[in-house]
Amino acid sequence: MRLLKTILAASVASFVALPAFAQQQVTWWDFLAGGDGVRMKALIERFNEEHPDIQISGTTLEWGVPYYTKVRTSVAVGQGPDVMTYHLSRMPLGLSEDVLSEITDEDLKVAGLSRDDFFTRALEAASGEDGKLYAIPFDIHSIILYYNKSYFEGSEFLDEEGNLTGIDSLEAFERALAHAKDEGSTAPVSYATGDDGGVYRVFFTLLKQQGGDLIKDGEVLPGDSLDKAAKAIEIMTRWTENGWQPEQAEYEASVALFTSGKAAFHMNGVWEVPTMVDMADKGTLGFEWGAVQIPKLMEQQATWADSHAFAIPAQDMAPEKREAVLKVIGWMEKNGIEWAGAGHIPAYKPVAESPEFAEMEPNATYSKLAETAAYDPRSQIAGVASPVYDAAINVISPAIHGYLEPMQAAEQIKTELQSKLR
Amino acid sequence: MLHNRRKHVAIAISLVAPFVLTFSLVFLWPAIRVVELSFTSGPLIGAGEWVGLENYRRLLSDNLFYTSLKNNGYFILLTVVPTTALALAIALMINRLSGRLQAAMLALFFLPYILPVSVVTMIWTWMLDFQFGILQPVFTFFTGKPVPVFKNPYWVMPMIAVVTIWWTNGFNVLLFIAGLRNIPQELYEAAALDGATGRQQFLRLTWPLLWPVTALVLTLQLILQLKIFDQVYLMSGGGPFNSSYVLLLMVYREAFQLNHGGYASAVALVLFVIIMAVSVLQFQILKIGGRR
Repeated sequence: MRLLKTILAASVASFVALPAFAQQQVTWWDFLAGGDGVRMKALIERFNEEHPDIQISGTTLEWGVPYYTKVRTSVAVGQGPDVMTYHLSRMPLGLSEDVLSEITDEDLKVAGLSRDDFFTRALEAASGEDGKLYAIPFDIHSIILYYNKSYFEGSEFLDEEGNLTGIDSLEAFERALAHAKDEGSTAPVSYATGDDGGVYRVFFTLLKQQGGDLIKDGEVLPGDSLDKAAKAIEIMTRWTENGWQPEQAEYEASVALFTSGKAAFHMNGVWEVPTMVDMADKGTLGFEWGAVQIPKLMEQQATWADSHAFAIPAQDMAPEKREAVLKVIGWMEKNGIEWAGAGHIPAYKPVAESPEFAEMEPNATYSKLAETAAYDPRSQIAGVASPVYDAAINVISPAIHGYLEPMQAAEQIKTELQSKLR
Repeated sequence: MLHNRRKHVAIAISLVAPFVLTFSLVFLWPAIRVVELSFTSGPLIGAGEWVGLENYRRLLSDNLFYTSLKNNGYFILLTVVPTTALALAIALMINRLSGRLQAAMLALFFLPYILPVSVVTMIWTWMLDFQFGILQPVFTFFTGKPVPVFKNPYWVMPMIAVVTIWWTNGFNVLLFIAGLRNIPQELYEAAALDGATGRQQFLRLTWPLLWPVTALVLTLQLILQLKIFDQVYLMSGGGPFNSSYVLLLMVYREAFQLNHGGYASAVALVLFVIIMAVSVLQFQILKIGGRR
């Protein structure tokens, strides 16, 4: 009996004492699958180990429209997460929907960060029209040019150290493609030609390299941007006609074409870097590879880019919880070097400028693209999984496969997107 | 007596109330809200400004709306009658079997129906993949080259129709089997005694007696196929060149992608009215056809 009493008393005491080391549960949503997801999960696990007082419970949701729809509806009824990953290209829509809560300077201080710690372009993309911050950028990611060295050995395109060289114009690039085809590459430049993201990112890069605008001041393809868009589609069509790019390749197929050694070049996001690194480590890649920023093929240097960022939903939240969330974000930023392992360029300067990052390959080779990164136009209809992406799969992809003339395709994009901008 | 009737009414109400309440809460109220929302410029969630008939006016000048309408119509042509005819044919064949074999065949045809749409579309997308699909050699045999079926404006709708028929046909087969079992066997015996051939038995007996079921299947299919969305969303995304864009996809994109709750509601309501009108009309016509 005495024993029972003791146990009872002890458990009562422990219940009373519990609030003293109350644990903050932070609900975390992201859309990171694949190599990205593995690295993010490792980061979350490490955070949980180091912080007994804050525990993150993470959920990975379906990337794209489903993700943003769920965020939208759940935040509206106050059932959103405590912190979520967000594409900066989706900020305009998020702001118009009022789902993002403002990140004040005070908040930044709690997280141990300050505005000066971030690259300006990323910071601008994370701010609203009012100049207030609505998300904390985590990285800058873009498409890059992966290459298979075996196709260029002994050619003008590889220097003594085995690095890609001499591709400084469209002509040079196409010469390299022709060379690779002669060397037996069945798809000299593979990208996801049957997928919205793959097509859009290459198209946007080519458009931006000509100095064109997709959407400016509420107008789609204004002025001579229409001709520039047609020109971009024309180039991509030519790659199909010459048998240089795979026909109707879905995302996975486009990656497989490169990793199986059939493609000499691969244009895809930095997020596939882990795939190559891991395969090379395991010895399953079968060739030497490298990655550089997309070369200047047209008039100026530019690459499609976007950022992953952390955002806090606009819903009621206890101050202690918010503090915990900010601590999570701050910790993630400071440990961003692990995230860079997923191919990304950290948006947090102390990490991006650290010696560890400078030694990280191939990131260090292409990291200067951050300076010429071309973000999607600031518009509610642009950004990942937006009508702009739909237009890529609906119009540009069939056009580059020969179903439509480049100019007609450009005009169709213009009318279609313009009608969405009312 | 009066007292008794009151009691009856009370019991009736208490029995009906749970249904009426649930119905009002989860169907009637949202439906009223949708009508209301369609007259505003509201976002998906939250209040908007009253704009009167503006959304409908805009809809009538929206090219995408007419494209979607046309595609919906095309899809109905491709599915409703073919799937019914196919189900009837399969049902007639299964009906000739007996015992375990019949059960096994029925299960075989019914199997796709129990799969979720995501699984169905994934199976077909894999089988039809341009680069690696196992059905591409078949296309190559007939057309001389592989066909990117969901990326070709001429192939996309018929292909989605094929997948849809494959997926949903089991249920129709089941309905027809039930109908066939309801026809008294004596009628066939009598007909056989009178020397009716198999063809005559089908045309004079089976077909007329099965007509109510046929009318039901046709109407159910019409309603179902007008609501086509999942397969399009998962397999073609409405492309290429909007050649598989349908009304519900338009509702989805406007509401969830662009946050235009008001406009999406207007499209949804128009679709609702179309479904009502067309299905009532069809059922009436079929009833007249059946009485003849």
